[in-house]
Amino acid sequence: MSAERERRHADLERGLTYAIGGAIWLWLCFRWLNSWLGGVVVGPTEPLVPQSFATATESLGATLGAVGDGVPLVATGFDLVGWAVGMVGFASQYGPQLAVAAWLTVVLTVISTLVGLVVAVPLAAARVYGRVTKYVAFVYIELIRGTPLVAQLFLLYYGAPFLSKFIREVPGVGQGIVPAQAVWIAIIGFVINSSAYQAEYIRGSVESVDPGQLTAARAVGLDKLGGIRYVVLPQALRYAIPSWTNELVYLIKYSSLAMFITVPEIFTQADSIGSETFAYTNAYVLAAGFYLVLVVTASYGMSKVEAEVAIPGVGSSDAGR
Amino acid sequence: MSRNDHLLTVEDLQKSYGDELVLDGIDFTMDAQDVQVLIGPSGSGKSTLLRCVNRLTEFEGGTISLDGEDVMAMDVNELRRQVGMVFQDFNLFAHLSARENVALGPRRVLGKSKAEANDRALDELERVGLADQADSYPAELSGGQKQRVGIARALAMDPKLMLFDEPTSALDPELIGEVLGVMRELADEGMTMLCVTHEMGFARQVATDIMFLEDGRLVEHGDPERLFTDPRHERTEQFLRRLTELHGGGSES
Repeated sequence: MSAERERRHADLERGLTYAIGGAIWLWLCFRWLNSWLGGVVVGPTEPLVPQSFATATESLGATLGAVGDGVPLVATGFDLVGWAVGMVGFASQYGPQLAVAAWLTVVLTVISTLVGLVVAVPLAAARVYGRVTKYVAFVYIELIRGTPLVAQLFLLYYGAPFLSKFIREVPGVGQGIVPAQAVWIAIIGFVINSSAYQAEYIRGSVESVDPGQLTAARAVGLDKLGGIRYVVLPQALRYAIPSWTNELVYLIKYSSLAMFITVPEIFTQADSIGSETFAYTNAYVLAAGFYLVLVVTASYGMSKVEAEVAIPGVGSSDAGR
Repeated sequence: MSRNDHLLTVEDLQKSYGDELVLDGIDFTMDAQDVQVLIGPSGSGKSTLLRCVNRLTEFEGGTISLDGEDVMAMDVNELRRQVGMVFQDFNLFAHLSARENVALGPRRVLGKSKAEANDRALDELERVGLADQADSYPAELSGGQKQRVGIARALAMDPKLMLFDEPTSALDPELIGEVLGVMRELADEGMTMLCVTHEMGFARQVATDIMFLEDGRLVEHGDPERLFTDPRHERTEQFLRRLTELHGGGSES
């Protein structure tokens, strides 16, 4: 009886999550498509709901906020309610701008973590199995992890003008949906930074694979590289997924540092909305909402991946079977 | 005597870890289809000796030849292709099914096609009685089944010689029999085997020769009946007596 109710409760919860998440992503995809096609439905950053809706909610919010003024606690309560109602109007008006900016955040993060992963795997392998390369990997990792990401971005953007010049001259950069050169420099910076962190995560998981398995691979006649490739890494990369997800989630938010090198991602856009409207709090809260959506989606997606590739019988979950 | 007469020749093998001499002048030969059992107290160098044969461990002195070829002169991966090894802790590849565990060598080392490697793997699993577990993963198998997969994995490479490094030591007593059964069948089929094991029942019935190793030296060797009934060295006698007391003269039978 109660188990049945619990199950229905879980179903309802899941349904709601999918409905809300689905609606948000549908809207995001619509905004992106609309923007890429040069605003075929509405202007690229123009809201779908009329300006009057925003004005109405904002004045409703102001009215609610004024209720109970002078009475302690009650006034604060209504201030909050009033702010929340006003926030809906604010979001309806400025959400589209942030949605367009969110695309850049997605691009920055996804490309950087994936390319970072490709760089991190050999780094981690070198760190564990290398003789000379071990030291090279060690120095790289410690140097990158030991210096601030902002400093790395500044160095790449302002300290290496030839890099900007080179990227700008690559055909297609900054045209259509291909981002401009500052974005590519941000991606280079994030790849360098993220690869160092990912290499350490992967090193940990490589070391957690029983070395006897590599011995067995060698005993069958595989060379060391083959053993690492076919036996150690397939397991290590699985074990690295939880911490790798952590890195992905970090990078979604750390990508806001690209603001310092003029990349118009979520945070940059929130900042400019703030300076335009002086509603900084609203702008930042709205930006935070966008980051939250991206982060929750990423961790949900990665938990699906983790379950999908789980080795039957291994680990605490029974997700594999 | 020429090395070419034997499948495996070990001459004056020396191996040390740092200052400690682990193997001190080991000499023996094995002919095709021989089953050589290696016994001795822990730390006597049995596993090290096995690992020198397929060069998982490098040795400093002496020579080992396989089929007349000096193993040090052979390509190490080629050597290992010809020598199968079964480990105490199974060392199965945890992310691969039983079939994939066995197929990995044929596929990635021998360069067979996926289908060929798969067929071969199924044949070998059939041979060790695990055809029905082909799609199970190591974590889903019992210890005895894991070890049989380990044997199938080594067999899939068509080895000239199989090395067994205490294949039943990590198993529950009731699972030992199934592994020894597979090993006995292999011996009957004419596989050349060098086994570190303390399963005296198996040794007595299957071994063509038993070697007693202590402190890196070959104390005594001979055919099982002679060694069991008339050991020449006191240490051999003591050790065998202790083993027999422990295992009742053959836990599998």
